[in-house]
Amino acid sequence: MFILDDLLLRALGISVPGLDFVSTLELLENLAYKELYNPENIKNQIKENQMLYEFGEISKYEFENTKSRLMEQLKFIERFEEMNLSVRADILT
Amino acid sequence: MSKDSESGRYVYCIIKAHEEKISFGNIGFQGKEVYTTKYKEFSPVLSDIVFKKFDVEDEEDVKTHSNVINEVMKEHSVIPVAYGMVFKNKKLVEMSMKYGYKAMKKAMKIVDNRVELGVKVILPKDFDRNEQKLDQCKSEFTERLKQVSFDSKNLILFSERLLINASFLVEVDKVQAFSSEVEQLRSKYDSFNFQYSGPWSPYNFVDIHILSRQKGGFR
Repeated sequence: MFILDDLLLRALGISVPGLDFVSTLELLENLAYKELYNPENIKNQIKENQMLYEFGEISKYEFENTKSRLMEQLKFIERFEEMNLSVRADILT
Repeated sequence: MSKDSESGRYVYCIIKAHEEKISFGNIGFQGKEVYTTKYKEFSPVLSDIVFKKFDVEDEEDVKTHSNVINEVMKEHSVIPVAYGMVFKNKKLVEMSMKYGYKAMKKAMKIVDNRVELGVKVILPKDFDRNEQKLDQCKSEFTERLKQVSFDSKNLILFSERLLINASFLVEVDKVQAFSSEVEQLRSKYDSFNFQYSGPWSPYNFVDIHILSRQKGGFR
């Protein structure tokens, strides 16, 4: 209901300061999620880890540990995307 | 049950060849023979395979794929095919060759007698960045290496430490000249770390999509 009200008011060109603030918070939350769960970021970190290992800046142990942590994160994100968990369904409307 | 219904065909790359069949030995997946079939002037390099999932995390499989291509590259110019490309049967390989023929002709003109070489320049740890100097250095690198190459591609800078990540398409007979240019740059900028790699099959210069909307290589 809340989202529907918010959208309706916006469509009518009515801006309610309180609702606007909540919308901005939601927008920021979504952006933070997108950044945190961006598979490209993780893939870049995997490549960087490989590069640092090849240049001898990190030990094999550090390399393997970081690699498995990042691979886990990547798998999680891929599952997250497959399940479309970032799309909110408003069950009250 | 026929052989075709039991197994698929894994395609590694495409070459230009006159022969009906060339065998590269039992170097394929599951120790199978790597061989060519023929479609007009092109020959897909393939091996028979029992269906399985190809995962990029499987280092052994990725290694087998690239080993085969390296072996083929010793004698031929190749149009690389994306890792994990399995066709259900010979007929589907032929169909893809038919649909991709024009694009392959175009791609072969680009890659024929050329190889891909990779250059990465990495800034030392805790490097005091002077953006203006780094930009100058970057353009010097790119300009000098472009002069000894046919084409180049800037690849994603996946780390803040990376100054240059680029691939160059170089004529086979100019690889030596390219390498000595890299060496000169390496001596001039000896505080930077270099990674010079190749020759690779020209993955970054061929992008053919057949029977698929997905990106990357020949699909």
